[in-house]
Amino acid sequence: MRRTRVRHEEGIFEPNMTPLIDVSLVLVVILMVATPLAFQSSIAVQRAAQAARKAAIVADTERIEITIVSQETVLVNKNQIPRSSLAALLKPLLDASPSKVVVVRCADGVTHGSFVSVLDDAKACGASQIAVVGG
Amino acid sequence: MITKINVTPIIDVALVLVIILLVTAPLLSVADLPVDLPQARSREAEDERNVSITLSTAGAIAIDEDIVSADELGPALQARLAKSGNEGVLVVVRADAGAPYSAVHHLLEVARAAGATRLAIATRQRTEAKP
Repeated sequence: MRRTRVRHEEGIFEPNMTPLIDVSLVLVVILMVATPLAFQSSIAVQRAAQAARKAAIVADTERIEITIVSQETVLVNKNQIPRSSLAALLKPLLDASPSKVVVVRCADGVTHGSFVSVLDDAKACGASQIAVVGG
Repeated sequence: MITKINVTPIIDVALVLVIILLVTAPLLSVADLPVDLPQARSREAEDERNVSITLSTAGAIAIDEDIVSADELGPALQARLAKSGNEGVLVVVRADAGAPYSAVHHLLEVARAAGATRLAIATRQRTEAKP
């Protein structure tokens, strides 16, 4: 009897770390692979024709038109402003607009990055729908 | 003496791998082309099954994971959208931040002509630490 008890006390004193480390390493590798993909999101844009038709119904004062002329210059409702002050100008315009529709035109030479930054600013200022003319 | 191989860690790892593959499989359905997506703060239209059109840094075009030529893009996209279950699917344009807008515009037009009803432009989530 005593011998059995002694043997029982000689059980596992340290937890086996190997399976834990195995699983943790696999998780780390998977996270490293999946992280760049998980950070992708997108901005929805409307079809030009459909959006233009809808936008035409909205009164001129309610519709906000942005034309990207170059990397530094944009036109907002035909008023030329520097790109840096777009967000400040757009916010009150969008707040006053009940439809919150923004129509974006873009010159061909402008980079995609600049175009998306304008869309992003419009979204951040509260635009509910973004229509891209010609797209 | 150990007379049997301990299969528990093997099963552990295998199950974790299976789960991870199941989770990441939809995410990995994009072509292996280098694309520097433009950064943006706004987030929408995510975690949704979509058909992606990739325009890489070098100008190569791909639909999901298949690389296509500029001429094949329209018919290939039309065929992809005509597949059952793809009615009204979101078409995401993944274009490089340095690409000219005319190229992106062309992709949007082709997508529209191929029957895409919902379009989105892919961005990379901007973190507050890196403005």
